[in-house]
Amino acid sequence: MAIELELRGITKRYPGVIANDAVDLTVRSGEIHAIVGENGAGKTTLMSMLYGLFPPDEGEILIRGEPVVFSSALDAIESGLGMVHQAFKLFPTLTVAENVVFRAEPTRRGLIDREAGHAQVRALADRYGLAVETTALVENLPVGVLQRVEILKALYRDARILILDEPTAVLTPQERDMLFDVIRRLREAGRTILFITHKLGEVMAVSDGVTVLRNGRSVAELVTAETTPAEITRYMVGRDVVVTPRPARRSPGESVLSVSDVTVLGEHDREVVQGATFDVRSGEVVGVAAVAGNGQSEMIEAIAGLRPVAAGTLTLAGVDVTHASVADRRAAGLAYVPEDRHGVGTAHNATVSENLLLGYQREAAISRGGWLRLDEVRRRATELVVRFAIKSPSVTNPVASLSGGNLQKLVLARELAREAPLLIAEQPTRGVDVGAIEFIHGQLLDYRDAGGALLLVSAELSEVLALSTRILVMFEGHVVAELDPAAVDEQEVGRYMTGAHLTATHA
Amino acid sequence: MPEWSVRYVAGLLRGAATSPVTHSLLLAFVAGGVIVALTGQDPLVAYREMFGGAVDGSGLRNTLSRAIPIVGMALAVSVCFRAGVINLGGEGQMVVGGLAGTVVAIYTPGPGAFVIPLALLAGAAAGAAWALLPAFAQTRLALPILLTSLLLNYVGRAVTGYLVRFPLADVSVTLATTRQVPESARMPKLPIFGGVSLSLLLVLVLVVAMAVVYARSVVGYETKMSGFSGRFARYGGVAVERQTVAVMAVSGAIGGAIGTHLIIGDALRFIEGELVLSGLAWTGLLVSLLAANRPILILGAGLLFSGLQIGGLAMQRNADISWRLAQVLQALVIIAVASRMSLRPRRRREADSVEVEELAVEPARVGQV
Repeated sequence: MAIELELRGITKRYPGVIANDAVDLTVRSGEIHAIVGENGAGKTTLMSMLYGLFPPDEGEILIRGEPVVFSSALDAIESGLGMVHQAFKLFPTLTVAENVVFRAEPTRRGLIDREAGHAQVRALADRYGLAVETTALVENLPVGVLQRVEILKALYRDARILILDEPTAVLTPQERDMLFDVIRRLREAGRTILFITHKLGEVMAVSDGVTVLRNGRSVAELVTAETTPAEITRYMVGRDVVVTPRPARRSPGESVLSVSDVTVLGEHDREVVQGATFDVRSGEVVGVAAVAGNGQSEMIEAIAGLRPVAAGTLTLAGVDVTHASVADRRAAGLAYVPEDRHGVGTAHNATVSENLLLGYQREAAISRGGWLRLDEVRRRATELVVRFAIKSPSVTNPVASLSGGNLQKLVLARELAREAPLLIAEQPTRGVDVGAIEFIHGQLLDYRDAGGALLLVSAELSEVLALSTRILVMFEGHVVAELDPAAVDEQEVGRYMTGAHLTATHA
Repeated sequence: MPEWSVRYVAGLLRGAATSPVTHSLLLAFVAGGVIVALTGQDPLVAYREMFGGAVDGSGLRNTLSRAIPIVGMALAVSVCFRAGVINLGGEGQMVVGGLAGTVVAIYTPGPGAFVIPLALLAGAAAGAAWALLPAFAQTRLALPILLTSLLLNYVGRAVTGYLVRFPLADVSVTLATTRQVPESARMPKLPIFGGVSLSLLLVLVLVVAMAVVYARSVVGYETKMSGFSGRFARYGGVAVERQTVAVMAVSGAIGGAIGTHLIIGDALRFIEGELVLSGLAWTGLLVSLLAANRPILILGAGLLFSGLQIGGLAMQRNADISWRLAQVLQALVIIAVASRMSLRPRRRREADSVEVEELAVEPARVGQV
């Protein structure tokens, strides 16, 4: 079959990080091609460059063998590309048909021909089985229908290649199945579909080919019929982090964190965590393994007090903290290294010293009568910078200039210095260099050996396997398995992460 | 003087000399001069008259008098802006507080030493209460402060207008106004610069107090972190919503006290619509932005803008150059400073997470549902 689209060596750099590193992608005509990867693997960056939103630093794009250079999305549309974004870009106060024909309205004697517009859009919708009322106002429509409007927009502009960016994230299962029918019908009509997702069930259900991105690189191109979810997972989660495990010096002690039947709501009040129950005891590391988007982030946020607990109870060091404020949880014994160290774990324009101070500012050693003891603040910051080898010109520099590894060491330094009974470490080594990884692992294991209870969430399966005392696997909001890392391998964990064990038991 | 304050002042001076703001000011004055020359006038004469008008004779008193509300309103807004709360309701808070303070000053018997502080406190309380409306609208009903505080300005203007037109009206005059503030309840004048209001001293004390609170207190630190990143502050245990309510109340209180000063220290009558005529709250907002919400710099920028306004009037009087040149200069200063800030290369986040992806889709984010 002919090659419809080819990306060669696409590279995009941002200061301090390579979002796309020589990515290759080949898509045949009339193929449904899935692009999978963890959050931050570079999927959306790649698609944005394909769609002309910004240019790649290196590499070229070929459509049906012809090199193309897009200076804007309009160029991309001109070349037959259409994109359905995660956040819809529609005018709420216009009708479906008006949204679809916008900028390409059929006219009669120089005036917009509304009737023709409606008729054309209706014909198009019927042809591909997209159930929409063309005269309805967009603001009155549910999200599933909005997505169909977006698809119609692309088809109306005669898109030969349709990019769908995580199209099922906002859909109900019924809407998802309808979408898949539409996609298959589009394939039959000879159109090519790029389908961005991290849900492997959908990849298996609808795609012909798969490209796996990890850390900005394309690590595998697979034919769907010849692969398995477990294999895709292996490519997605990566084994980039080499860890030497260190056995615990003592057996786990008392329970520090007790999560009991906890339910958490996400977007649109969907239950993203359902009935999670587990304990983390002092002196042990509980690792959470899950493919992105299976509720692990929301569960951690709920434990940290950044998201409400809808049902169930949380007990931290003997205190019921189910509905406690963040400050009360921290007082009860919580330290937390968050996944998003730029947006949550640090404030970019604040200094090293200010970033190290957060959470301590009301402690007796740091402030008295509401006044900060600035010399003490400075002394403490300097001490932490030295102890954790954070490379910064001074403690009064903004942290914006720190590298990823140093920023993470700063967050870790601040949280470990609490000497709290519970430490949650989310993606503690993502995007940091090898030296920093070793250092961070050493610190985490020291914490465990000092009697701390560590809850570790990581997309690096090798890291979870090597550091954990026990592994919890989450799938679609449920804790589906508790595994002994010594008794399982990556394949085994991967089967639970992709829900394969469920089909196995049913069969 | 303690060592930290020496360091603080030295840092400010060093910052001022190398600051893009200083360069922007020079640029604005050069551009303003070109505009004057284009109108066929001599820019040097214009600037001489303007500068002279702002500092000579009664000019200095007028400049300092006008600086009181400008600096005061800038301090009020800085409390919110620093914490990332966009309070655009300074005008309403000033007007509502101003009327409350005026009523107390007119109708409370007793010596000035008792009535004047009471009037200021009443003005502060009313301004704070007015500011709490948008604060709770945001924390309880998720209505953005930016909108509600702005719209409440018009409500505040209308409500005070009604009150001075009917229940509080002085029927002996044709204006919609309260009675005059009695002699004993007027803000005393200092025997310096030809009689400038005692409020100047209060504002100076406030500048210093706020500089110290911002730099050295726990709440100063917490509000600053919230302003940098609300998510970071929340993650660290700062009760961001409670803080929003608190900064709105403090901001409204300062605004209300300034409103009170404008009547009992200056106008002596609350005339409908008069407090908002010279746009003091908005000038204060610009001053705070210009000064990056730092009290000491606010004092400087407030004096500059006050001097421009007073000097502009003198320039018109003496050199027959429209005082609007002063407004043009004020605008040029803001444009120059703002463009210097946005021309700095934007610091892209180093990103190993979703942020790169978010950044990537940003340019196409139009007309979202």
